[in-house]
Amino acid sequence: MRFEDELVGLLPRLRRFARGLARDASDADDLCQAAIERALKSRDQWSHGTRLDSWMYRITRNLWIDERRAAARRGVQKPIDEAVLQVAGDGAAHVEAGALRGDVDGAMAHLPDEQREVVMLVLVEGYAYREAAEILEVPIGTVTSRLARGRETLMHLLGEAA
Amino acid sequence: MTIDRATIAAYVDGELDDIAARRIERAAEADPEIADAIARHRALTATLAAHYGPVAEEAVPNRLLDLVAGADRVDTSLAARREAKRARFGAMQWGAIAASLALGLTIGLRPWLPTEPVAVQGGALVAAGPLSEALDTQLASNQPADAPVRIGLSFRDRTGRYCRSFESAAVDGIGCRADGRWRLERTTPGAAATDYRQAASGSLAAAAADMMAGDALDAGAERAARDGGWRR
Repeated sequence: MRFEDELVGLLPRLRRFARGLARDASDADDLCQAAIERALKSRDQWSHGTRLDSWMYRITRNLWIDERRAAARRGVQKPIDEAVLQVAGDGAAHVEAGALRGDVDGAMAHLPDEQREVVMLVLVEGYAYREAAEILEVPIGTVTSRLARGRETLMHLLGEAA
Repeated sequence: MTIDRATIAAYVDGELDDIAARRIERAAEADPEIADAIARHRALTATLAAHYGPVAEEAVPNRLLDLVAGADRVDTSLAARREAKRARFGAMQWGAIAASLALGLTIGLRPWLPTEPVAVQGGALVAAGPLSEALDTQLASNQPADAPVRIGLSFRDRTGRYCRSFESAAVDGIGCRADGRWRLERTTPGAAATDYRQAASGSLAAAAADMMAGDALDAGAERAARDGGWRR
């Protein structure tokens, strides 16, 4: 299949992934637009025969992380580093169980970016752990531990924990 | 529980091989706690799928599709669109524009006569007099059958401007609201040039479809846009 056709075919899923990362619908489409522009510009770097979807997800995710880091430098939000992630993740435990029942957006917003992207890739986009690890360029063990933490927080906030 | 959460998660995520999966299923039959944990994991996945699933069902915005299409010089659908565009702006349309321009230039010289429908302002062809008034105020949903200007579709183009297609005796076309006036983006001869009537109305509809972002305004949205002065 031709590059452009395959790319167009991916857009509905890519928009869904972006919506999970960015939450706001128009921010998500801006993210998709930036990802498409990047992909078209660097299409030579995509090796034919490898999966275009993984490549597009990686571009989208990297642009999002760049955007978040740039925003952090402008002082809009806290920088992404492991210490902050831990606090953000643990902070949700102090929220009453089931406090965000039915509010998926609100619950997802409690997750650090690095957990949210794993939750989106595995639980929503349906990627295998190994595929998610390739997209994110991290070891499988990192995927499973982030997924476990993210899942726990979501179950807690959405009231699906024991 | 003899099976850890990670294994249950891996089971629900379809990461276990058949033998390991079978082992979990047997354990779940014997231990309601394991069965519960599996159910909770599945419930979360289902909740997320129900929440995000509809996003992938939405129509992809034109600005994203155009980005991909615009990058591809040999795309057949794009070639087809260009062909359609050329056809729409064929000799007949250029003729109509020339005629309108001539008319507009005449009006331009006689600004005290506001009864002509088109004018040239700042180098752009714009609606004037009765046409401008109709585009400003008339609603397609309740226009008199014998209105001198008939409004067709109202819609927003990809830059967010309000545009309206219209038909009248002298000229048919599409006007888009910019800088407080209706810029005529498309014009064809009106009802007076009866020979071309059929073709003109079809090509206007095609032009409108090509210009619009999303759907045409319904009666309520048309009224709201008018009441808002057609500001973006």
